[in-house]
Amino acid sequence: MMKRKMIKALLCLMVAMASLTANAQVKAFEKYADMKHVSYVYISKYMLGMAGKSAAPSVPGVDMKSMASKLTGIQIISSEDKSARAKLKSDVKDILAQDKYDVLMQIREDGSKVDIYYRVDKQQSVVVMVVDDDGEATVMVFSGTFTMDDVMKMAK
Amino acid sequence: MDELNYKTLEQIPIPEGLEERLSKKIDEWEQAERVQKAQRRHLLPRSLRYTAVAASMALVFGMGYHYFGQDEQANLAEQDTYQDPVLAQQEAERALNLLAANLNKGVGHLEKAKVLSDKAENTLNKQLKALK
Repeated sequence: MMKRKMIKALLCLMVAMASLTANAQVKAFEKYADMKHVSYVYISKYMLGMAGKSAAPSVPGVDMKSMASKLTGIQIISSEDKSARAKLKSDVKDILAQDKYDVLMQIREDGSKVDIYYRVDKQQSVVVMVVDDDGEATVMVFSGTFTMDDVMKMAK
Repeated sequence: MDELNYKTLEQIPIPEGLEERLSKKIDEWEQAERVQKAQRRHLLPRSLRYTAVAASMALVFGMGYHYFGQDEQANLAEQDTYQDPVLAQQEAERALNLLAANLNKGVGHLEKAKVLSDKAENTLNKQLKALK
């Protein structure tokens, strides 16, 4: 009886911890939060929920509300510093290779480079957009419980 | 039949002192059982108690290490950058717009490529028909 209670308590704890981890941002990109010459922005699920309630879609035909409701976090990392930019790009490349992201799109236009990668998982799906443009590198990490169909709905 | 057996049994003479001896034996068994139970109650729960205390301590330390033992960098990252929902909304919109714009660019190029491919296919078909 006691044993059963202990097992139940442990299972509850594991589920609670798993849900906490699932709601969190992509850990691999957290290290930029305190890096010199790099700006790091994190918008949580709570803030995204608030955005979804009041925001009017600013791109015609793009369903921002449904996408925002499926997002659990957005991380935006950017830098204009030459060495920080180089390190950021190389680190991101390693993270994408290590976590086995797939390429969704690569756009080369007027000197700007945009690479979009994705990883779809039951617990957490992630879309990473790397923009290298006019001496500034920006990495945007969208994490949530969305599917690739939800992402492609954003394209008109 | 049962009544008959009972009556027959009642008639059998009981040896002297048997009742006392049986009662004594039952008392002995009862006492032995009580001692065994007491021993079990002392030994098993104590070992379980130590294990439970050790497991609880390990769990508390583990959770403490997981949540509070992480470096400042991680704690910083866990915090929302914007405390103002309006600013967070603007930044989220900007990010989503940029993603949508780039997705559209990519899809647009794909559509252009499809149009070109369709044109080439049509021209080829026309040429093939002309040859026939």
